[in-house]
Amino acid sequence: MNRITILTGHFGSGKTEIAINMALNEKKIHNKTAINDLDIINPYFRSRDVSNLFELQDIELIAPANRLATSDLPIVSGEIYRVLHDHRYRVIIDAGGDKDGAMALGQYYHEWKHLEPELLFVLNANRPYVSTLEGARYCIEEIEKAARLKVTGIINNSNIGNETGMADILSGYELCSKLSKMLSIPLLYTTISVDLKNEANSFAKSHQVRFIKRYMKLPWEG
Amino acid sequence: MGKVLMKGNEVIAEAAVQAGCKYFFGYPITPQSELVAYMARRLPEVGGLFLQAESEIAAINMVYGAAGTGVRVMTSSSSPGFSLKQEGISYLVGSELPAVVVNIVRGGPGLGNIQPAQSDYFQVTKGGGHGDYNIPVLAPASLQEIVELTNEAFDIADRYRTPVILMGDGMLGQMMEPVEFGERTHSELPEKNWATTGTRGDGPRRIITSLELNAQSLETRNAALQKKFARIKENEVRYETYQTDDADYIMVAFGTVARITMNAISKARQEGIKVGLIRPISLWPFPEKPFLETRDVVKGYISVEMSAGQMVEDVRLAVNGHAEVDFYGRTGGVVPTQEEIYQKILSVAGGSRYEHENSF
Repeated sequence: MNRITILTGHFGSGKTEIAINMALNEKKIHNKTAINDLDIINPYFRSRDVSNLFELQDIELIAPANRLATSDLPIVSGEIYRVLHDHRYRVIIDAGGDKDGAMALGQYYHEWKHLEPELLFVLNANRPYVSTLEGARYCIEEIEKAARLKVTGIINNSNIGNETGMADILSGYELCSKLSKMLSIPLLYTTISVDLKNEANSFAKSHQVRFIKRYMKLPWEG
Repeated sequence: MGKVLMKGNEVIAEAAVQAGCKYFFGYPITPQSELVAYMARRLPEVGGLFLQAESEIAAINMVYGAAGTGVRVMTSSSSPGFSLKQEGISYLVGSELPAVVVNIVRGGPGLGNIQPAQSDYFQVTKGGGHGDYNIPVLAPASLQEIVELTNEAFDIADRYRTPVILMGDGMLGQMMEPVEFGERTHSELPEKNWATTGTRGDGPRRIITSLELNAQSLETRNAALQKKFARIKENEVRYETYQTDDADYIMVAFGTVARITMNAISKARQEGIKVGLIRPISLWPFPEKPFLETRDVVKGYISVEMSAGQMVEDVRLAVNGHAEVDFYGRTGGVVPTQEEIYQKILSVAGGSRYEHENSF
């Protein structure tokens, strides 16, 4: 399996929540797990905003230093090189959305081209501009150009937040399946909120599902 | 079309496009840049025009020019950039031009930071630019409400020939919620027979200006503007009340802070403290009616804001000494927690003393 997983996707696809969940899961298997916040696009709701959670779980968060965390500068931490080349580390990379976010990845091409990182494309079909096959394909192509890597897998993360129903997930699944076929990129799994565990039961029997928890909460959410 | 998951900034942009806004002039600034980015991609799709100006000042003056032709036009910014637009906004008012100006507020003063705040309340409600003027200000609390109020903002602008401000804090701009763009409500709007779209010898010359060199003439113009502001005060007040019927204390909060406050209210009610909420949706005109109806009945009001205490002044004016008015606020981009607000309710409602009174 790949030691390095890079999460990309269109803007607002839910990469960060998936990256957090992935880091928590991988930590159970790998003693050394690092999550890299390469988000140079979003001012709020980034991996670095749940740093307490990572500290508690002994997951290394690699992000701009605290004093710069909310500086509104497109900066990344130089610490990433350490974990990229230390083979004991399981590395998860959370990039910003769209080609603009993927631009932060391009610079590492020579660092990781021999390490064969996994580049995953997260798709929420209920977001503007990626609800069609054409839109999603265009987004992948733009990201691949900016990241200087090929997408190796698709994750269906179709949802409409706390009002998500199975219909939203299934129509997203349909789009992801078509996209997968068209581009010959495997559709790896569908991520579904743990709140929908019962409803998703039968779907989970026919297709790989990973249940995820939401960590980016708003101040009025419990 | 069913529900989609969007960011607040995107919702403002899409709602504007659906309200018939074809022109956008802006300049990026965190935390509202997604609005500008969305417009850059979206407007060409509907045959509109997006232009990134060289500055906020340029953008607001481009809005002035476009509005003069009678089209629906918008610009957006965040606090420091919004300050730069003030001269242009005053000109829009003086020349009676309809436009929608968005302010996604961040921590100030000065460069401040990029975290959410509501500390531009004075600026938007008391006239941030020069001269005697008021501007309708709408403050949505949810992304679905953005859809409705953006549409309203354009209608109000056209109805009164005035700029309208749509204000939210950075959190509202950045957060994601499911939204639905339903059928737009169309209201009866006056014909734009003042627009400068070129004379065809079909009437008197049309001139749009705020220049008036003669003192008496300018005073007459001011009187007409004041009459218009009075009409807006009469017709465009918007607010919501929550559990105020039996309330001993009423919280006052707008935007996202109202949502946090509602949780604090639920918790207080579980503890037997009767608390309600007045949520101003139009910040100007400020809703006085719900205060007139309750100020002789309740023990007090608590204004909760992401500022050092701005809206609380309008609350005091509306309450006019009939009841206690208290304040709780956080500044600098710190978002108040429901626990803090609950503690404030306890301290005002008397904490243990209150429990004692109710134990009989």
